[in-house]
Amino acid sequence: MRIVTMDPDSCVACRNCEYACAFKQAQTFERRDSNIRVNFYPEERVCIPGTCVHCEEPWCLEVCPASAIRRNPDIGAVEIDPERCAGCKMCMLACPYGAIRFDARARVARKCDLCGGDPRCVKFCISGALQYVEAEEAFGFRRTSFDAHLMHMLGKKGQP
Amino acid sequence: MSQTRQVFQTLCRMCDDHCAINVYMEEGRIADIDGYEEHPWNRGRLCSKGRAAIDLVYHPDRLFKPLKRTPSGWQEIPLEQALDEIAGKLARIRDAHGARSIGVWKGEAVGFAQQEDLARRFVHAIGSPNYFSNDSMCFNGRWIGYGTVHGAWSVPDYEHTRLVLLWGANPPHAHPNMTQMIMRARRRGGKLIVLDPRLSAVARQADLHAPIRPGTDGALAWGLIRALLERGAYDRELVANHSVGFPQLQAYAGRFTPEYVEGETGVPASLVGEIAVALARAAPAVVNYVGNGLEHHENGINNIRAVAYLDALLGALDCKGGNRLAEGFPTNRLTLYEERPLTDLEPIGAKRFPVLYGMRQECHTMTAMDAILSGRPYPLKAMVLTAANPAMTNPNTEKVRRALGALELFVVRDLFLTETAQLAHYVLPAASFLERSELHAHAMFQVVTLTRKLLSFPGVQDEYQFWRDLAHRLGAGAYFPWKNEEELTRWLLQPSGLTLEQLAAHPEGYPYRPVRYEKWREMPLRTPSGKVEFTSQYLKDLGYPELAEYRPPSYQSSPDPEYPFVLVTGARKLLFYHSRFQNIERFARAGRNPEMEMHPADAARLALNDGDRARVSSRVGTIELPVTVTAPNEILPGTVQITHGYRQANVNLLTPDDVFDPISGFPLLKALPVKVERLGNTVTPDSAIS
Repeated sequence: MRIVTMDPDSCVACRNCEYACAFKQAQTFERRDSNIRVNFYPEERVCIPGTCVHCEEPWCLEVCPASAIRRNPDIGAVEIDPERCAGCKMCMLACPYGAIRFDARARVARKCDLCGGDPRCVKFCISGALQYVEAEEAFGFRRTSFDAHLMHMLGKKGQP
Repeated sequence: MSQTRQVFQTLCRMCDDHCAINVYMEEGRIADIDGYEEHPWNRGRLCSKGRAAIDLVYHPDRLFKPLKRTPSGWQEIPLEQALDEIAGKLARIRDAHGARSIGVWKGEAVGFAQQEDLARRFVHAIGSPNYFSNDSMCFNGRWIGYGTVHGAWSVPDYEHTRLVLLWGANPPHAHPNMTQMIMRARRRGGKLIVLDPRLSAVARQADLHAPIRPGTDGALAWGLIRALLERGAYDRELVANHSVGFPQLQAYAGRFTPEYVEGETGVPASLVGEIAVALARAAPAVVNYVGNGLEHHENGINNIRAVAYLDALLGALDCKGGNRLAEGFPTNRLTLYEERPLTDLEPIGAKRFPVLYGMRQECHTMTAMDAILSGRPYPLKAMVLTAANPAMTNPNTEKVRRALGALELFVVRDLFLTETAQLAHYVLPAASFLERSELHAHAMFQVVTLTRKLLSFPGVQDEYQFWRDLAHRLGAGAYFPWKNEEELTRWLLQPSGLTLEQLAAHPEGYPYRPVRYEKWREMPLRTPSGKVEFTSQYLKDLGYPELAEYRPPSYQSSPDPEYPFVLVTGARKLLFYHSRFQNIERFARAGRNPEMEMHPADAARLALNDGDRARVSSRVGTIELPVTVTAPNEILPGTVQITHGYRQANVNLLTPDDVFDPISGFPLLKALPVKVERLGNTVTPDSAIS
């Protein structure tokens, strides 16, 4: 099973992921139509991309009274069926990451469905902050960065 | 997914990055576009502009028929008639005023390489030396700056670098694909330092962002040079055996103490030392990259030259992880500068800006406006322009419109009836990048890719066909013997030993030459001396200082109290490319377009709230637009920024076309004295109701 990992140390808040997602969802480039959101805090110079990590025990799925949220067995994505969604917004309350939004026009909750296994946000991420990787290897880039840092501390030749 | 869906690979040309793309076709129409993973350049990633090529190709406003201006408005005419009439008028102007009264203007939208060289070939073939392009305002400034020092402009070797130092460059918006390279370098432990008056998108991830006053980069570069020399942290072998002018450099650097640099640039003295130490520690694997931000200044070229000096001092010149001197892809030469140089015909601007012409064979578009209006030094009566929109993008729009409107014959090729096309006598429909095939070399990886023609529309010519058909009508057909674009490209490929078929089989790019480093050890650089030129005899002979002397920008050395703000223009936006894509509806709606960025303290002083409309005036003109009040660290106080290309608020109504860098002739666009006023009674939806 693969998930979209997010690296706040590479994101430049260019919003290509939001544009790509909004385009996939609603053929627009408007942020309100995007399931992935990037928050940028200028004074702290922090960029935080946020999207669903498709929890093993999804609280949104458990709380949904309409059984509208299910796991797609093929790709492992936790998906909302808009035909079943009652618009009660309990999933939004349940999600600890704020990764579910409410579509006020269709009056249903919306979230990432991994675009059926080819997430557009990743393909249009120009910084490499988003990666679509096996869950077992998720956040491996942390190790890469840490190794580089450690090599630097150890004073190995050829490292900054 | 439709069963008839097919996928083809080619390169995107929505900007000049040339990312590799998959184009998904259904029944002859493009259904989708995304990044192609096998190409080393972008590794499957793509920015939003790439996907919007579909919006461009199938835009409802696209032109498919030639238009002729008549007293009763635009009239559609057949292509053959349009070409006959245009050729007839060009021939009459050539007979009456001489061939040099005809100019050709190649815009950014059609790209460079063979498309540029075809335009150059055409104008020389018909006997005129007057080739104009977007490059008298972009790119050439940096090429000249680096070229006078190293013999060429280098490419950044991000994949092996330990420190990226960006001067006035914002890759996420200007060269989106460089972003992933920089971030990969950071993940490997490399550092990123960004010098920019704004907290640009890339600066959000900088290990150090130093806001620097516009136009003062030369002072900082000299301060860093001084600091490196003082520490003895420079490449002695390169300096001793492969450079000229080091004693002069040493002598001149002395005055750039950290305190003086702070006074000029606003960069704290302590940071100057900190940056110098970071450079020395990472050397020689330092990418020292200059963006467009340094070009549009009164002392732009010498500021860039001073930055370029750092490459040699750090040993980063052509070094692994540094600024590499790329080896080009060998093709047959399309230009006629050896066969028909025509320099005795006085190319427009060549006397005024001999370096721009001498190093780049580039005529000067701003001087062309004067020539059209004054008839001096000789009449410039006709212009054939392709893929440019100077009525939005050249400085002093009012004068540009007046000049282009005064031409006896003005022909424009474009996809749309742009602001410039509206001034023309004839407008011809142009092909998009998906409707032609051409060679592109990614110099950073030294791979060449053949782009693919995926569709065509009846009556819409590619660039080659247009120049060929016009040349044949003007008696210059011998210079355009190739039947079509494909034959031309086969001829271009001859010296490479590669065939079209070979290239077509390698959409991931064909490696034409392995990457090599430190070539200066074995062969001379392409400077007159063959060495790194801290001092340039070439510039000295033309009356310029031999060393890259620093001169403070005039807003700083002689401030005008009437115009207390410094306007920077032209910071890139992700979704637009100069004046292009403004007509793509979903782009225009994504964010506040246009806007003027302003520091909160300045906004407060003028009682401007975020979104309020302001009036901005220079000595050239006035525009009105909404203000975006930034965070305190997003722009320097006293500095405002307006991106170009918006018809609702065209910033080039403010920019002067008579203040230039003396070496390149580039106009002052990024340190312009202006005043800002609040527009009274801003109507918000709420107050409109009450």
